[in-house]
Amino acid sequence: MTVVLKKLAGHLARGLVMILVVATISFFIVRNIPGDPMKAALEMKVAAGADPVAAAQEVKVIYGFQPTGSMWSQYVDYLAGLATFDLGTSTLHAGQPVTEVLTESAKWTVLPVLLGILMSFLVGVILGVYAALRRSSKLGDILAISGSLLHGVPQYVLGLLLAAIFATSLGWFPSEGGVADILIEPGFTPEYIGTLIRHAALPVLTYALASYGGWVLAMKSSVVTVLGDDFILASELRGMKRSIIFRYVARNAILPLFTILALSLGLLFAGAVFIERIFNYPGLGLKLIDSVTNRDYALMSGAFLLITVAIVVANILADLLYTVIDPRVRQ
Amino acid sequence: MKRLAAVVALLGMAAVSACSSTDNKPAATGGAAAAAAVYTTVDGNKPGIDPAGPANPFAPKGNSFSGYNAMKLAWVKNHLTDPNQFYPGIAESWEIATDNSSVTIKLQPNNKWSDGSPVTAEDVKLSIAIAYTQGNTAFTQVPGAAGSASEVTVVDDKTIKVTQDMANPVTTFARGVLDTPVVPAKLWSSVVGADIWDKIKAARTEGADAEAARTYLTELGKKIIAHNPGQDLSAGPYVLERVNASAALLKKNPHFYNAANVAPEKVQLLNFTGNEQVWNYLIQGKLDSSPFVAVPADTMTKIKATAGNQVIKGYSPVVVGLAFNQSKAPYDNVHVRRGLAYLINREEVTQIASPEGGTAAVTTSGIHQKAAAEWLGAELGNLEPFATDVAKAEEEFKAAGLKKSGDKWTLADGKPWKVSMHAPAGFSDWVAAQENIKNQLIKAGVDAEVVTTADFPLYQTEMAEGKYDTGFWLIGLGPAPYNIFQRIYGAANGWANIGGKVTHNAPGKNGNWMGSKEEVEVEGLGKVNPGELTAKLNAVSPEEQKALMLQLAKTANADLPVIQLWDYVNTQFQNTTRFTGFPADDSDLLRLPHGVWIQLGLVKAKS
Amino acid sequence: MSELILETSTASMRRNFWRGVWRVMKRKPSRMAGVVILLGFTVMAVIGPLFYPENLPYDPNAKYAPISWEHWFGTDGQGKDVWAQLVIGSRYVLLSALVTGVITVVVGAGLGLFSGFKRGRWDTVLMRLTDMKLTIPGLPLLLVLSTVWSFGSAIEMGLVLGLLGWGGVARAVRSQTLSLRERGFIEAARGLGLSTTHIVGKELLPTMAPYIAMNMLVAVTGAVYAQVGLFFLGVLPYEADNWGVMLNLAVFGGGAMTTTAALPYLLAPLLAILLLTLGIVLVVDAMDEIFNPRLREE
Repeated sequence: MTVVLKKLAGHLARGLVMILVVATISFFIVRNIPGDPMKAALEMKVAAGADPVAAAQEVKVIYGFQPTGSMWSQYVDYLAGLATFDLGTSTLHAGQPVTEVLTESAKWTVLPVLLGILMSFLVGVILGVYAALRRSSKLGDILAISGSLLHGVPQYVLGLLLAAIFATSLGWFPSEGGVADILIEPGFTPEYIGTLIRHAALPVLTYALASYGGWVLAMKSSVVTVLGDDFILASELRGMKRSIIFRYVARNAILPLFTILALSLGLLFAGAVFIERIFNYPGLGLKLIDSVTNRDYALMSGAFLLITVAIVVANILADLLYTVIDPRVRQ
Repeated sequence: MKRLAAVVALLGMAAVSACSSTDNKPAATGGAAAAAAVYTTVDGNKPGIDPAGPANPFAPKGNSFSGYNAMKLAWVKNHLTDPNQFYPGIAESWEIATDNSSVTIKLQPNNKWSDGSPVTAEDVKLSIAIAYTQGNTAFTQVPGAAGSASEVTVVDDKTIKVTQDMANPVTTFARGVLDTPVVPAKLWSSVVGADIWDKIKAARTEGADAEAARTYLTELGKKIIAHNPGQDLSAGPYVLERVNASAALLKKNPHFYNAANVAPEKVQLLNFTGNEQVWNYLIQGKLDSSPFVAVPADTMTKIKATAGNQVIKGYSPVVVGLAFNQSKAPYDNVHVRRGLAYLINREEVTQIASPEGGTAAVTTSGIHQKAAAEWLGAELGNLEPFATDVAKAEEEFKAAGLKKSGDKWTLADGKPWKVSMHAPAGFSDWVAAQENIKNQLIKAGVDAEVVTTADFPLYQTEMAEGKYDTGFWLIGLGPAPYNIFQRIYGAANGWANIGGKVTHNAPGKNGNWMGSKEEVEVEGLGKVNPGELTAKLNAVSPEEQKALMLQLAKTANADLPVIQLWDYVNTQFQNTTRFTGFPADDSDLLRLPHGVWIQLGLVKAKS
Repeated sequence: MSELILETSTASMRRNFWRGVWRVMKRKPSRMAGVVILLGFTVMAVIGPLFYPENLPYDPNAKYAPISWEHWFGTDGQGKDVWAQLVIGSRYVLLSALVTGVITVVVGAGLGLFSGFKRGRWDTVLMRLTDMKLTIPGLPLLLVLSTVWSFGSAIEMGLVLGLLGWGGVARAVRSQTLSLRERGFIEAARGLGLSTTHIVGKELLPTMAPYIAMNMLVAVTGAVYAQVGLFFLGVLPYEADNWGVMLNLAVFGGGAMTTTAALPYLLAPLLAILLLTLGIVLVVDAMDEIFNPRLREE
């Protein structure tokens, strides 16, 4: 167990360095963004009918939430804030702390991502075994190619196609996005859960389809590798039952996939940008786009940092999982 | 066989969610009776609904929606020529002194907050104090600013009087006063503090103390934006029931003064991130009314085909123009600008870029054509219309000294000339319009290009720095006449107006990127200084305003600092299957939040 | 003498290799199709735009025209031919892909080889760096970067994507180098007195070429999609003709998700991406089998 703990400590240290590096990068990128958001905000307000004098003061107050001072002192303040999980104050959501805004949107990314990945993992692993065992047949080929295709096609293509078919043409699912019908009282009722599912269905399905191909491919190649191992050959020679061999194969082949599973969780966080934009699902990705288009600097760095943290944590998990699962690594 | 099973399982999952979806449909839209009680719309000022937002009308993402559960003293009509017309809000009536020296406001006698306590003059006074921290033309921290209030007096429980500082008065004083949001003192006095009026007084003087007081007020402004009152106490027709990331649900406030005439029991304000969501809501017939969104033609057809949907058009005091940077050759030559005006077919531009949301400008006057008809009357017809005319354009170009080699126009020295137009990338109608202008110009032998800028902040900054030859610029932002012309003869063109004193900055200095000449020779008017004329608009009588507006329109028409392209139209949508009584075409109510229609008792449930 | 033997054996290996390639290709016609698709796209990007004038003709009366013989994929909101835009747009997409590919290979393979060859401290440092780079989420980083960099030209875009994308190739090449090392490949060559340049240039690289190519294709695919995706999200200024711009204008400007008029405008780039992906998948599939003998089962 101490090995695992030692590993964990090392990972945590590296993870912290990583977060520090990313925080620094995003801080300096964000502080060097050209263009004046205050000017644009003022212009927008005036175009919407506000009086220029009144709008100027309004904008001054809202952008008063942006940090002031020299770049260096801002950087120190930023890092000090990070230590206490304070990511600054949003200007898009003026007055609200960035952490609050991000927690609100993060839950709408975490749940669908988890669901989508688990669904695709189950289906993908099973079909992956088939693709490996029948890799010379037509079906194996089709599974492998379709897996590669789904794996290779960008998420937004899948999302756009799904939206065009199931929301726009067939109208099975709401096309306007959101998380739940507001008229339905929230609670643990079939109606409320139903409306949650209806709104989440297409994003989840897209996550699932986008990651499904990866599972098929990974499982296939993993099974092929295990099939070539000597112990399988030996047990076959010894005349063991096929079902037992299959269990051997499946168990050994699935091990490396758990690491990928943990990794992919982190990566999907990053991919949520497209899917959430297409389905207007109010998660972290949509918030990141919002912050970029509205020049909300604090929110932008915060969202970027949170996504990186998700990936770092996923990496650490993956590695620990690997240590726990595979006894060879432990020594 | 197993592989098939897996596929079937996958399909099964999809089917289950599909089934549950159809099962829930009636619940989602509600029964027929329930549907009539719920009014569905979107709030154009609050596109992204934030469940974590406080019930705070000053927070940009707060869940206080103007006209529904957030109230103002009165609702500004945005009349074509008279800025001082309002619909009642917290105020039942108002009396404006003939010299604009004061406004006396009488509150609705029977209006109560949603907890049953009465709305008083003290609430209003506190709200005015808050206005000083948030920005308001009448309640401003800037010492000596034109048209600011000098005193706020509570006359009695339901009456309050605001006096204008007559050292530097403006005619739009009442507009600033009545445009103030009103919040309950009960929930806000703790944030504001008892010494607020001393601070305000101090801020409006000169010196170090005043500076400190202004900093204090600005900091207080931040505190107010960040304040979470914990509960929604509304004096409007509705009060917040619940919010999620899809929508905000409001229920009727029984203590509202006009509650008897507020027809919908509930209002749901739907969230939207992009216009395409509103299109979907409209096609599904979900929205009882919707403010303006840009709609592509084919989507419009589909929206119109939905039962009960109708399109209503009103005036929108916004105009888009192609603005020139006159520091750059050859745009410093008025003949070049005029030549381009003759070349560009504005009808075609509008048809491509904003067929539903705009009408081609009749000419360049600096004023929206609807308002121009009021301000200028018959004189509008006497302005040069700049109808598309290639021959005239050639004449102008020749007068400017441009040369034509082959079928291409070049600069006087034979160097190539390329009209470079800029627009921010996200503004699809602007980009489409510029693409079309480019195509038109190229056809006429003038080389052209469209350059997009990453986003609006960068566009604004680069434009102000004088980096662009030409770019789109909003003008005619009325209704206040000064606001209309300060768009072309204001700070962006060199004239700074500080406390009523006008100074001129040289082109390229202090944000003067348009770089018009300080004095222009206009036929029939002689030499005019358009910036000084514009500044005068603030303080003079309506009659004099009319004369000034005509002079300025003539100047803009002759000098063309911008080519007016199209005047926006406030295209809105209403659905008459559940409710009736909506405002009709051209109503001034179309420029107000739809909650105002409801609170005035106009919207009726369909029986 | 010994050198000669090694030389001839490599030569014959290479001959066998091409014969193997041909055999693998022939065995499944789909792989041929993959090669044809990729060649088709290359021709489209290189020669295609030459057939169109600099400024495409437009017709304000034929906005979002339906599919016809004249307009294979209809027209856009300006009345311009969509197919022509697809062809012109392919140049930006594929040129940036080329730049990305070159950078990925040079940086990725270079670092990977160096790391795997040297081992020790250099290896640790470089691989830590690579890991770190792989951890930074690419797309969100691009989103943030898009605010400071406008990616006007395809080359700039390719450069940034390449610099963001070499991590995977570096890792793969390093592990491959290490495994060749374990098999005594390098020691044997050393024993024969061959120089490092020779070992790397003549022995390691050719052996690994298809493997590198495969990983490069994967990296490039990702980069192409990220690029089109950024334009689709509308966070980049779109001076350039690009498929992503078409997607963006179709969905957020033309209402392709609400009505059918702009649907061909949306589908054209979608189908192009699908087809390109299919081509790459088929080619990678072939490469995979050439490289990975374990899969080569009859």
